[in-house]
Amino acid sequence: MKPMKPYPFYFVIAALALYVTFFIIPSLAGIAYSFTDWSSYSEEVSFVGLDNFRTILSPDESYLSFIGNTLVFTFWTIILKTAFGLGLALLLNRGVRSFVNGYRVLIYLPAILPTLVVALIFRSILNPATGLLNSLLRSVGLDGLALSWLTDPAIALYAVIGVDSWKGIGYIMVILLAGLQTIPRDYYEAAEIDGAGAWAKFRYITLPMLAPALMIVTVLNVLYGLRIFDIVYALTNGGPGYATEVLSTEIFKAFSKGQFGLGTAISSILFLILVVTGYLVIRVMERQPDRQ
Amino acid sequence: MTIRVKGASIPGALRLMGLAGASSLALVMASDASLAAPKLTLTYMASQEWVKDAEQDLAKKFEEKTGIAIDFQILPSDQYFNVLQTKLNSGEGPDLFGGQSGVTDLKLQYNVEKNAVDLSKEPWASKEDPLVAAQSTVNGKLYGMTYWDIVGNTWVVSYNKKLFAQYGLSVPTTYAEFKADCQKLKDAGVQPLFEPVAPGWHHVLWFLELGPRYEELTPGLADSLNANTATFAGNAAMTSAVTQLKEVFDNGYMGQNALADVYTDASKAMASGKVGMVLANTGFASLVEHDYPDMKASDIGVFLMPLADNQRVNINPAGPTHFIYSGSPNIDAAKQYLDFLAQPENMDYFIDHTPTAMTLPFEGTKTKFSADAQAMFDTHKDARGTVYQTAVTYVNPQWMDIGADLTAMFTGALTPEKVLSNIDKRRADLAKAAKDPAWKK
Repeated sequence: MKPMKPYPFYFVIAALALYVTFFIIPSLAGIAYSFTDWSSYSEEVSFVGLDNFRTILSPDESYLSFIGNTLVFTFWTIILKTAFGLGLALLLNRGVRSFVNGYRVLIYLPAILPTLVVALIFRSILNPATGLLNSLLRSVGLDGLALSWLTDPAIALYAVIGVDSWKGIGYIMVILLAGLQTIPRDYYEAAEIDGAGAWAKFRYITLPMLAPALMIVTVLNVLYGLRIFDIVYALTNGGPGYATEVLSTEIFKAFSKGQFGLGTAISSILFLILVVTGYLVIRVMERQPDRQ
Repeated sequence: MTIRVKGASIPGALRLMGLAGASSLALVMASDASLAAPKLTLTYMASQEWVKDAEQDLAKKFEEKTGIAIDFQILPSDQYFNVLQTKLNSGEGPDLFGGQSGVTDLKLQYNVEKNAVDLSKEPWASKEDPLVAAQSTVNGKLYGMTYWDIVGNTWVVSYNKKLFAQYGLSVPTTYAEFKADCQKLKDAGVQPLFEPVAPGWHHVLWFLELGPRYEELTPGLADSLNANTATFAGNAAMTSAVTQLKEVFDNGYMGQNALADVYTDASKAMASGKVGMVLANTGFASLVEHDYPDMKASDIGVFLMPLADNQRVNINPAGPTHFIYSGSPNIDAAKQYLDFLAQPENMDYFIDHTPTAMTLPFEGTKTKFSADAQAMFDTHKDARGTVYQTAVTYVNPQWMDIGADLTAMFTGALTPEKVLSNIDKRRADLAKAAKDPAWKK
């Protein structure tokens, strides 16, 4: 039999050229510009070494808190979306018997709403004086729980996390549900014959078999969380003060102010965090099956 | 995204019909010379809010008179400077462009010596208020026409006269008196002050608009700041103003919802009768009456911002300004348009048809200030000064940062001293970026 001939290399040249022109070169240029004082205030662009990075990492500046906010946002959205997404996926996979497709649509619906729409709705709902949430809480006598959700710096970031999780749970649920449906029922039947309870089946069958899907959602959540911009920008614009400022909103602000060198330096740091975190998450999760 | 605002003029309609293939109708109508298609279309690019309806009306009249149409290209304010700079730097600027005057911005943001046309010899130039014209002038050359109500846009505290009378309050002239008034209103269950902190820009006015007061207490301070021989941090009057602003917030005078309030609700708040005061420009009373006819403009009084015991009128001579692009092939037509706008009858039309405009900064222009505002300006006619976002370099570009810092101060995350030192730090960064020689010493 004649061996299959591979496609010639030049088939990829066009795609490669586009990738290099529109991704690799701009990315490298961005990293190069992070070592300059490029700004809209001067036509000259000078090499400033690590000055921009020193500024960002200085304890006298607020940038470290923006990095902290980004990490806190990422951590909690991963936990909330995965926990609730998994719970709902389990429920819809086996627990609920009727109107399953309807529930799936309802739970997935927030994921397809534009972020700006979600933010505007929640800005109204979470308004401390006139918002629906506080009005409801007050109407049932829970005045103490009627908080300044988006304007109290102690809780504003968590309110944003809550809104983003609400929007994203459906998406995560769909991925995990797909993973759950690939697990053969035979495994559960065999475990039941051996006397395994619900927790044992979850711990020793569902979780290991779902590991690939969990890895996908974790990596997706990590990359999404670290790059978060739209929901923060639309809900709080980084405020009150800097309580919800994250790296991407600060990059946007730096560019808006014409501080291009500083903006590219923050982008470079975000890129580094993304690469390192993404790599670590994949390594850690790849080891999980070996432990079973 | 560009929003093109086009008047529904007949020539405009003809162009549309021509595109749609309605050429026969167009030919019939074109027999009337006054309805002919414009011989030229000038593009005018501006930020949101800078082009008032009255100017668009005037542009239509200009087209009827000269056959030169104005194509307004209005962009969202947060994208405007980036788009404009891209167009100017790529040599594809519009015939006319809007910009914020102010000597620092003229050089840094617009590079007017390269991108704009010298208008010093235009007939209207000598009639423009010198204080205002100075903000569009670089090296003795006037580059822009500020067609904006500069004096009327002075930010003052508007107050509900009926509430003040009901609770026996007098107009405060010091911070202590202001605080006492606020406390009395609060005790009576009235929100003393509607202060919209959420948008991030309004509460900054309380601090930077007091430039004339800082200058009064430390003559030459703005020059020293610009020469990098003085700082915001450590200045007693500034520290006092910021600390007092925090006290106003901490005491609850701004209400419980200040961090979520937005400025667009200011007239509604004032008209509700549940709010004692609002920091707004002098046209605010007319605007409230326009939006809520039950509340009369005469029921709203004004007084100067009393932080740091200020009793000087804070004028910002900078404002949205018309520039002609130096690379435009239609410079003469663009000059003709500016000259048309400056005709007395057209300025009167603009003032009459713009609720927030009380006057225009040109000699002999009419005014429509309320009696209270006029009295305030008359009383303090010799006590005027320039606000610090205009008088001091590298302050205006960090306006929103200062807003975020002040909000952080309200919430306890920053001290007043730190707010001021942050301003110095950002000024130094911007000066360094601009390679300002005063920061190289």
